[in-house]
Amino acid sequence: MSAEPDPEAAAAAPAGGSSQPAADTGTGGEAADAPPGASPDGITGDGAAGSHAHAAPVEPSAARDADAEPDADSATDAGAAADAGSDPAADAQRGAAAAHTEPGAGADTDSTLADGARDDAPAARRGLRSRGVRAGAAAVVVAAVVAAAVVAAGHSGGTRHTAAAAAAADGLPHTTVDISPSACGRGWSAAAKPHPGTQVFDLHNSGASASEVYLEDPRTGRLYAEVEGLAPGAVRQMLVNLGSGTYAFECQQEDTDSVTGPSVEVPGHVAQGPSSLPVTVHDLIPPTLAYQKWIQSRMADLTSATGKLRADIDRGDLAAARRDWLTGHLVYERMGAAYDTFGDADGMINGTAPLGGDPAKADGFTGFHRIEYGLWHGESAVSLRGQAKTLDDAARKLRSTWKTQQMDPANMGLRAHEIVENTLQFELTGRTDYGSGTNLATALANIDGSREILAELEPLLKPRDSGLARLEASMARARTYTASFDHGGRWTPLDKLTRAQRERLDADFGDLLEQLAPVAAIFDVRRTV
Amino acid sequence: MNGDGTAAPEDAAGLRRRGFLRGAALGAGAIGAAAGGSAVLAGASASAASPSPTTPAAPRVSQAAPFHGAHQAGITREVQNACVTLSFDVTAADRRELTELMHTLTERARFLATGGTPPAVGITDSPSDSGTLGPQVPSDGLSVTVGVGASLFDGRFGLADRKPLRLSQMPAFPDDDLRPEWCHGDLSVQLSAPHTDTVLHALRDIARHTRGGMQVRWRMDGFSSPSRPTGTPRNHLGFKDGTSQPDVADPAVARKLLWVGSGGAEPAWTAGGSYQVVRLIRMLVEFWDRVSITEQERMFGRNRDTGAPLDGDHEFDQPNYSADPMGDVIPLDSHMRMANPRTAQTAESRILRRAYNYDNGMDVNGNLDMGLVFVCYQQDLERQFEAVQKRLAGEPLVDYISPYGGGYFFVLPGVKDRTDWYGSTLLA
Repeated sequence: MSAEPDPEAAAAAPAGGSSQPAADTGTGGEAADAPPGASPDGITGDGAAGSHAHAAPVEPSAARDADAEPDADSATDAGAAADAGSDPAADAQRGAAAAHTEPGAGADTDSTLADGARDDAPAARRGLRSRGVRAGAAAVVVAAVVAAAVVAAGHSGGTRHTAAAAAAADGLPHTTVDISPSACGRGWSAAAKPHPGTQVFDLHNSGASASEVYLEDPRTGRLYAEVEGLAPGAVRQMLVNLGSGTYAFECQQEDTDSVTGPSVEVPGHVAQGPSSLPVTVHDLIPPTLAYQKWIQSRMADLTSATGKLRADIDRGDLAAARRDWLTGHLVYERMGAAYDTFGDADGMINGTAPLGGDPAKADGFTGFHRIEYGLWHGESAVSLRGQAKTLDDAARKLRSTWKTQQMDPANMGLRAHEIVENTLQFELTGRTDYGSGTNLATALANIDGSREILAELEPLLKPRDSGLARLEASMARARTYTASFDHGGRWTPLDKLTRAQRERLDADFGDLLEQLAPVAAIFDVRRTV
Repeated sequence: MNGDGTAAPEDAAGLRRRGFLRGAALGAGAIGAAAGGSAVLAGASASAASPSPTTPAAPRVSQAAPFHGAHQAGITREVQNACVTLSFDVTAADRRELTELMHTLTERARFLATGGTPPAVGITDSPSDSGTLGPQVPSDGLSVTVGVGASLFDGRFGLADRKPLRLSQMPAFPDDDLRPEWCHGDLSVQLSAPHTDTVLHALRDIARHTRGGMQVRWRMDGFSSPSRPTGTPRNHLGFKDGTSQPDVADPAVARKLLWVGSGGAEPAWTAGGSYQVVRLIRMLVEFWDRVSITEQERMFGRNRDTGAPLDGDHEFDQPNYSADPMGDVIPLDSHMRMANPRTAQTAESRILRRAYNYDNGMDVNGNLDMGLVFVCYQQDLERQFEAVQKRLAGEPLVDYISPYGGGYFFVLPGVKDRTDWYGSTLLA
């Protein structure tokens, strides 16, 4: 690749793949079989895992199949063991399998959404982001795609030739820094008179392939700034607000061990800007497995509830059905972080009908909301029997297949945030109300779902999120206020809220979402070695 | 309605030449062409004071009004191209949270009105700025004007004994058709700037930082038109709106008409503030367009094309009511004449108007939903706005307009320096 690659060409690189080994996904195992040094926390250092990884860069479903045990329960047990950290091989399998679901998603971050929205009519309502794993062996597979995309985006505002000149116009001090395995951090040293304050590093990748760049405290490993996917030859800006302390650049070129540049002291007594320890895939495997187990238990609650609902409808007891419908629906609504792993089942179990038509006649409209529509619009028990069976069957099938599903650890933090975004978008607007008026019950279930993930993530979050206490207070406040609309199983419908109640609810959820946003940012998975 | 140019008398001696056209040249710079006429912002009051509207006005640089000062800058500042007027209800739970909210609001307003580089957050959060104004946030002449409504002084925050003397909930006047969802509120915030993106960037930023503490009760986006072809901008009825204003650049006038001072009956903390009236006034433009020009002009008392009083030739000519005691030329029930009879007794009731046009889509009957965000400032609601409003009761114009929202607010004293904050004297 030339020293000044065209960003367009870089974006197209994965197809051509000439100079970026990682893009050469056709050879699969090559890419996944990264040098041990490039694997996070030694996940692929294990032979068994390594061989597993070889099979990985294929279809996600194939990866799952490869991972599936004949006895699904024993697979779960293995997961439990890995949870305790006693089975690195299992860890590796999980990590690799999960990470390997990414190549497709990495190339097209909307693919999950596209899948979900494939049915034109009723569909899973949630537009979920999918976060590419840019760490470890699997990351190598997708890195080229991701990096190229980032580069292309990063350059949409101008060419790199003019980047430095444009930067001067911002009135900020600029320092040009070399990014490459051999000269990581060159350009910023005591000779450059490091100073605190808002400033810009113009990062120039003089290496042969794309690189991640971090500005860190080399003693604590806390990261102050990052630039992902800096293309070879490219210059990109890193805006920082430096306090007094020790800093070093870390250059992570693809397929190469991470290199930490020289430590630089910024003098004075200026408070440092925000920083956090990075999170790796390895960090996330235990909480992900624990969460999967938790979901597994909810599956039992779910099928028990859908079975009950089905029985109510079968014997014509619509009053009981309305009560049991809510119980079942709330069980499902607490499992929010797992929906994208459910695939099409989510649409079948909890889909909505398009606006503007008669929901009763909407093609393919099934699940909780379809039954809700019937139960609260005078449909007969007999006419709902088929729907009750469809739901119950779908829930049972989901339960049985869940044991072999792998959640993507990289999406855990994202989901904690997005669950509540979906609440705001679909529940607090009433979009998903089909007559029961229980959007606030759903909102509470969603908060509990988000809280469940946060509980799993808390050990990781505690040293990383300085706003954790505020987040927990905000979540408790929103939860308490939402719960106040439960009048012994009867919930205040949205349209019966007073203006003051509505404003307070919006304030509580708005604040909660602002506090959740950092969680998603912090849990953007990063490679550390 | 006090929307046209009549509420405030201006004797010839009081006229002084100020800048007229804001923001034409600069700031606009590169984007001037794109912004087009809208960058040439006719400050209504500025041009209003010009004795010779036909003289081409020197373009004035749009520059940031200093954020810090004894008074909030947005009060005396001329109207700008783009404006959002909002009322918020405070959702903060108690006095401590309200204080925190006001600190946050101050910090955001200070940054937005001053401009600068949004802080880097590293890997710890989503970006600290929406980026809609680019990597560096320009001040772009943004004004943030913050007021408090009477409801803030109920029992929630222990402020009942600190209510500004004359602050109350805006009453319904005889020709009003108030809709509760468009009225009142604990706080008022007005954001104005030469460009819409600047205003919306500020709105987004402030909302993001204050979600837990306050929620928008109502919001109306407004704009000020360029001079067509000269002088004061026109409203949706085609008439120049805001021709006559008290000259508040004269400290004596401002002291008499605009600022709440210390030493009177008002609580001491209010010194440096001013009462703000916001009126959302629907204009029935289709109906209006079906009215003859003679009738239109007699309703206002002014010539539609020039803005001149019907007994004059130019916009800024003074009407001579004493020469027309029976209203043969300027009808006695014309808006201009009723609002401000220009007598010694009514001089005390002059108000500083800062009105914006709004355009809010369609009504259910297929009519255009257009109107005026009427805003005025004064020292005393009863002596000024309400006196004018009472004089206007029953004016012929009421058939073509419908006030339906707004509220009374007290604009807080200015943020004096970097350590000060909105409401510091109220909440201290």
